Order: sequence, then structure tokens, then C-alpha cells
Amino acid sequence: MGRRRRRVDEEASARAGAGARTLLDAIATLSRSLPTGPCPEIFRRAKFDRPEAAPALWELLFRLLAPLLADRAAASLGPGAQARWVKAVLCSHGYPRPALAQLPEDGSQGSRELLLAFSWLLARGPLLEWLLAQTCVKLGDQVPTFECEVLASPGLATPQMDAEGPVDLRCLQWLMGKLRFQWQQLICSQEEQCALLSKIHMYTWGCHSDRNLGHLSVTETEMLRDPEGSQQLLQALEQENAQLEAALEWRRYELVFWQWMDTVLGACPSEDPAVPTFQPSISEHGRGKLELVAQELQALKEELQALQELLRKEVLSRRQAWETQIGGLGHGPEWSAARQALQQAVDRELLALRQAWKQGKGPSLPQGPHRLVKIEAGSAEAQGLPVAEVIRALRSQEASLEAVLCRLQGQCRQELARLAGTVPGLIWILPPGR
Amino acid sequence: MAVLLQADCARRLVAELQGALDACAERQRQVEQSLRVSRRLLQAWEPAGTTALEPPPGSETKKDPSPACTPNPQDIKELELLTQALEKAIRVRKGISKTGERGRTPSLKPGSTALSPGTTASASPQSSSRTGHCSSRTRPTKGILQTKVPAKHHPEHRLPLAGNRSPVGIGAQATRLEPNHREQMTLSAAPHAAETFTLKEKGTLLQLPMAFRKVASRNSCLWTRLNSTQTSDATDATSAAKTQFLQKMQRSSSISSSRFSAVEVEMEAQCLQKACALLRLRMQEELSAAPEDWMQEYRCLLTLEGLQAMAGQCLHKVQELCTALTEQLPGPCLMGRPLKASLPCGDRVCTSWGPQLLLYSSTQELQTLATLRLRVAMLEQQVHLEKVLMAELLPMVSTQEPQGQPWLALCRAAYSLLCEGGERFLTILQEDPAD
Repeated sequence: MGRRRRRVDEEASARAGAGARTLLDAIATLSRSLPTGPCPEIFRRAKFDRPEAAPALWELLFRLLAPLLADRAAASLGPGAQARWVKAVLCSHGYPRPALAQLPEDGSQGSRELLLAFSWLLARGPLLEWLLAQTCVKLGDQVPTFECEVLASPGLATPQMDAEGPVDLRCLQWLMGKLRFQWQQLICSQEEQCALLSKIHMYTWGCHSDRNLGHLSVTETEMLRDPEGSQQLLQALEQENAQLEAALEWRRYELVFWQWMDTVLGACPSEDPAVPTFQPSISEHGRGKLELVAQELQALKEELQALQELLRKEVLSRRQAWETQIGGLGHGPEWSAARQALQQAVDRELLALRQAWKQGKGPSLPQGPHRLVKIEAGSAEAQGLPVAEVIRALRSQEASLEAVLCRLQGQCRQELARLAGTVPGLIWILPPGR
Repeated sequence: MAVLLQADCARRLVAELQGALDACAERQRQVEQSLRVSRRLLQAWEPAGTTALEPPPGSETKKDPSPACTPNPQDIKELELLTQALEKAIRVRKGISKTGERGRTPSLKPGSTALSPGTTASASPQSSSRTGHCSSRTRPTKGILQTKVPAKHHPEHRLPLAGNRSPVGIGAQATRLEPNHREQMTLSAAPHAAETFTLKEKGTLLQLPMAFRKVASRNSCLWTRLNSTQTSDATDATSAAKTQFLQKMQRSSSISSSRFSAVEVEMEAQCLQKACALLRLRMQEELSAAPEDWMQEYRCLLTLEGLQAMAGQCLHKVQELCTALTEQLPGPCLMGRPLKASLPCGDRVCTSWGPQLLLYSSTQELQTLATLRLRVAMLEQQVHLEKVLMAELLPMVSTQEPQGQPWLALCRAAYSLLCEGGERFLTILQEDPAD
């Protein structure tokens, strides 16, 4: 222990000796591994809270928080909206410094605060790795994903909507119908795409230089068909390699950066606790999802209370019945051993139950990038996740979501029936098929 | 009958639905884009594409940088003669020894490159018969493994070429014959317009360009390193420094560190929903069981007691979350579905970052997977929309005066949207009070 500490100290002092050079290297490496690759000078200026560094850092944070969205939506969102979005996301992830929310959204100041926010993200988890995985060049064919929050524009509750004034409920019904139709269409297109993918995989069987992959992907085949496009792909891949190299190198320099960040944090004037934390710079628009969560929690609370009450009664009566019937019989050592064994078995069972909700069941789809590989049925050589396993996990996910939807619809049915029950002379004829 | 929604309520609901529609449309656009690409690949490749199917760029001679683009009749004639000669050579060669040949493959490679790009053989009888037996799936795999060998031994031989050639050169090594023929001839479909390239017939002849293979393999190496050094390289000192930084940041803040963030509240709430459903299910199982002996009876009792305790713990957690929600900072609020897994957090560390392989064996399996995935996404969206609609419509129904046509129309519309997903309607008969 002591030795390790000494070693660490030695390392630290050695690095301190190397001085500013190492810090510059660290920041340069970090900057090279980031998607927007802000100029290293930005970081230094941010330490001194120089206003000119702020726009680049807002942009960086936006890119980090919405990696897949950036290209398309960044253009459509102005810097102000981007800044608002960054604030909202950081806040919902529990960012501890209220000073961030007070920053003006025009990017005119606050570079130090932004540097702190960036470092906070970086310190919390493997940000660079995650980011690289999100933005990596997709050479392989993927299972079509559907991530609303990625695809749709960032969901900030905004006041500007085309629907001004009252709207007929039939408009909602029409939109719902349209949505259902779009889903059907999507499923059909997707099926066709899968069939084509499978064909391409079969026809290029054995063409890949990587033995594990075997066949080509659409991107790779397309690259052979259209060499012009392949140049771009190659460049993108080379760029990714450079980022990966930088990310690997960063791990060696990281410590210096954190020591430096410590001084940045030290340079911040401490907050005055007397000042009321802050004035929200943006008026709140409508109800956000927190309100929905609050409602859900309320419903959950009631449900759990009912459940608990039911269990309490049941346990009470059974315990009494047990005591009167059999309780008197066994106080011997055999019984106490049996009882202990039973208790342990039950504990184990309930622990498993608890784990079932703590972690999802079975393997879900890989969160990051993945590549579809066609294998011959029954071949055991290939390394990877069998689709059959993912299908199983998705089926159970499907079932539980169906149950949730069903429960919610049931709640609505009850509630509406209750409301309608107050009106005499109404006959409800439910639609067929239920 | 028109049922008007108030402006703010309408705005929220329309925004939610529009968001869902936009997401769907965006996805549809993406699928159609990939459908276009895939369909084009499965059709006959156009000449512009087939010009890429040049011989392997081992040719130091570089006589003609773009031979396949400008075939003239004279060349074609010569080519045919040469093709015949080569075919003959192959027949003779085949007769000799195959085993010796394999060993010599690397050294023979330069020989093949001595052929000028123009002297490629068109799709010959050999190649088509070969395509025939390549459709058995194991052979080409072996074949490609063999072709890899020379490439590895002579990387320096081909790399510069890939680098300094025009973009066409990238696709240059596209098509190649299998190893026993490879060193003599390469296939180019270009000179013969009749010999169009289709993936179905000649897909197995494709080969990735060397430059690409090199960059791609470097890429996968780097991903492997990124995964493997993740834990070992992150020294104690670094992680200590990070923790210290986070703590110091927290201390400098006026916000208590113990509170849940909005994202955490959402995730915990989801988890508790699941817990509640599981507890209920387990309880029902226990209550409906008929114990056969006193042991089972006692066990049942213990289980119910355990469930009761767990329900209590869940309730406590719900209370905590409710408190945390009220402590949320005011500010811009996010709309839409939960931001699940949108950022890496300490406790949800992914073990592997690089591209993972997903193995499937049949088209049907792939289709099932894709459809299920969409179905799950759709259900998630439906559940979210259901909650949003419930929050808006139920209060509307309950606060309006429960009489008259407008109220009935509202009830009917609300019933359809809330209970039937908008798919079916209910019929309401009103008895005439006079009857």
C-alpha cells in the first residue's frame, strides 16, 4: 500500500517536472479524440473564463450530448436552442452546479463553467469510449434501430407550435391513425430490407478478409460497386482510427488533466449560499415529462399501498390460522431446522425476484454498434451473440410492455365507465373483438 | 360532432403525436435509403461500377491507368486470343499439381502482376463453372483464406499502389479468381458488355481493396485495445483524481448531492413499475396455490410475509422519488420519452465498445428480429402516448358537465383513443327519458 502510494507520488512529481509540456500534450490528445476537436487553446482560455472560448464549448457539449443527432439537427437548431438543450439535459442528469443554468444562451460568456460541465461528464464515466462507439463508422449491417430520442429533434418543450387555438379531437384521432399506418409501412419496408440483406450476405459469402465476418456488408459491397464513395469511407475510417489512437493515448495523460482541472475548479469563486440558487432564465413551457413521472409515481404509490394492504390482511389471517393449527406442535430441533431451511429457500426465491426487476431479463440488443453476420445454421464456430437469444429477450420485453399498455387501458376503461355511470340512461356497447 | 380541445392541451398532444410521426417518418426515410442501395446492389452492376473490377494492382508496369474504361475493338480481339491461351494454360496447369502450387502462391504473385491491366481475361468458362461450385458455402471461405496468405506476406507490395491510385484503384482488386487460377488471370467484366456483373452470379469473386482492408483491420485492432486496456490502464491515481474532482465539484455546489437526478428518478420509476407487476404476479401465484402439507403452507406464509416486506420497501422508494421530484430544479424541461442510457454513467459501464457481432442463420430469423425490435419500439411509444393522453383527456372528461351530445362525443373519442388505441369505437345508446 505504502509502496504503491510512493510510486504514485513519484509518478506525479515526475509529471509535474515535465511541467506544462505534458499538460499541453494531454489537452491536445483529448482534443484529437473528440468529435469536434476543439482547438487545445480553447481549454486554456476557458480556465480564465475568456468569453471567446464559450461558443466552441457550447458546441462541444451539444455534440457530446447528442452525438447522433448533431449533423442533421444541429443545423436546424440555432446556438440558443442548442444551449437550452444542453442545459436541460445536464440538469436532468443531475449536474450539480446551478451556475450553468444561469449562463446566457447567446454564447457570450461562461467558458469556465462550460469547461467544468464538460469535465464533469468526462469524469463520470467512459465518455470518450461511449462517444466513439456512438459515432463510429458503421461498416457492418445493423439491426434496424428505432430510437425516437435520437431520430426526432431534441424534445424541448417549446412554445412555438403550429397548433394555435383549440383543436378538434378528431385531429388527434387522425394523427393516431396516421401513426399506426406509418408503423405498418415501416414494418413492411423493414422486412423487405432484411430479405435483401440476407441475399447480399449469401451472395458475397466468403469474400471478407476477416474470417469471423465471412461475407460482405452492404456498405462494403457498395464500396466495391462505387469506388468514388469508397474514398470517403476510407477517410472516415482513417479519421476514426486517429480518434481511437488519441483516446488510447489520452489514458496515459489523463492524470495531468485532472490535476489541472482541480486548479480550474479552485479558480472559481465559490457560490454565495445566501443568494437564492437561481432564477430560471427560461420560462417553463407546458408540462414536461417530469410531471408525467410524478403522476406515474402517484399511481404506483396507490397500487403498492393496495398491494401491501392485501398482503397484510392475508398474512395476518394465515399466521393466526397457522399458529392455532400447527404452531403448537413443533418446537423440537427437527422443526426448527426445517423452518430454517424453508426460510432460506424463500429468501433465495425472493432475492431472485428482486434481481429480476433490478436488471432486465436476458441479453438485449447490444447498445453500441454491432454487425450482422450470417452463419450456417447450427455452426458453433462463430463468435458473437446469437440472434435467437436477442429474440427471446425482445419477446419478453414485448410481453411486459403489452401488459403495461393493457393495464393502462384497463384503468382508462374503468375510469370512463365510472364517469359514464353517473349519467342515467346510457348504454355502452363495446366494440367487438374485446 | 366536433370536440374542441383547449389550446394548451391541444398543443401538447399534437406536439407529442407529431414528434412520434416525425420519428417514424425519419426511420422510414432511412429504411428506404438502404432499400435503394441494396436493390441497386442486387441488380446488374452498371458499367461505371464494373470498371472498378480491374485486375489486382500489383502491376508495376502501370501501362494503362484506366484500361477497363476504354476498351477498343483491337484490344478486345487480342484479349480474347489471350484468354484462350490462358484457358489452355490453366487446363494444363490443373493437370499438374495443386499442392505444390499452393505453397508457391506467394512467390508467384509478382508473376501475376506482370500481366498488364489490359490483358485480363473476361469471364471465362472456368469462372462461370467456378461460380457454380462456389455456391456451396464452405468452399469460398477456404478460398478466401488462401488468398489472404499472399496478401499478408506482401503487404508492402500492394499498399503504395492503393495509395497513389485514383479513387478507381480502391475498388481495383475487386474481383479475383480463386487461388488456383488467380496467379494467372484476373477477371474483368468490363470489356464484354454482355458479361454484366451481378452479385448473385459473381458476388463471391469480390474482394475488398487492400487499402481498405488495412485500415479496417487497424480499426478493429484499435477497438480491441480500447476494450482491453480500459480497466488495466486506468490507474488508481487517475480514478482517484476523477472521484476527487467530482466530490470537490459537488461540495462547491449548493445542491445536495443525495438527491436523485431527473433521469435517475425516471429510471427508478420504471424499475419500480416492473417490481410492482412482479410482486403482484407472485402474490397471485401464492394466493391461488393450494398447499398440500403443512410444510408448503408454512412456506407460502413465509413468502407472503416476504412479499409484504418488499412491497413496503418499494413504497418507501416511491416516497423518496416523489420527494426528489419536488426538489428538481426549475428550468427548461425535456419532453418525450425517457432518455434511457443516453449517457454513460459510472454504474452502467458497458463492457465492450467496439462493434459486436450478431449472428443469424436465416432470413426469417432476421426478419423476426427486426420486426420484434420495431414492435417493442412501437409499444414503448404507445405506452408513452397512452400516459400523455390519459393525463390530458381523463381530467377533461371528468370536469365537463356530463350531459348532452358534446360530452357523449368526447366520451366516445376518449374511449377510442385511451382504451382501443384509436382503432375501434364504442357505441353509446341514450335512452330517451320519455320512454
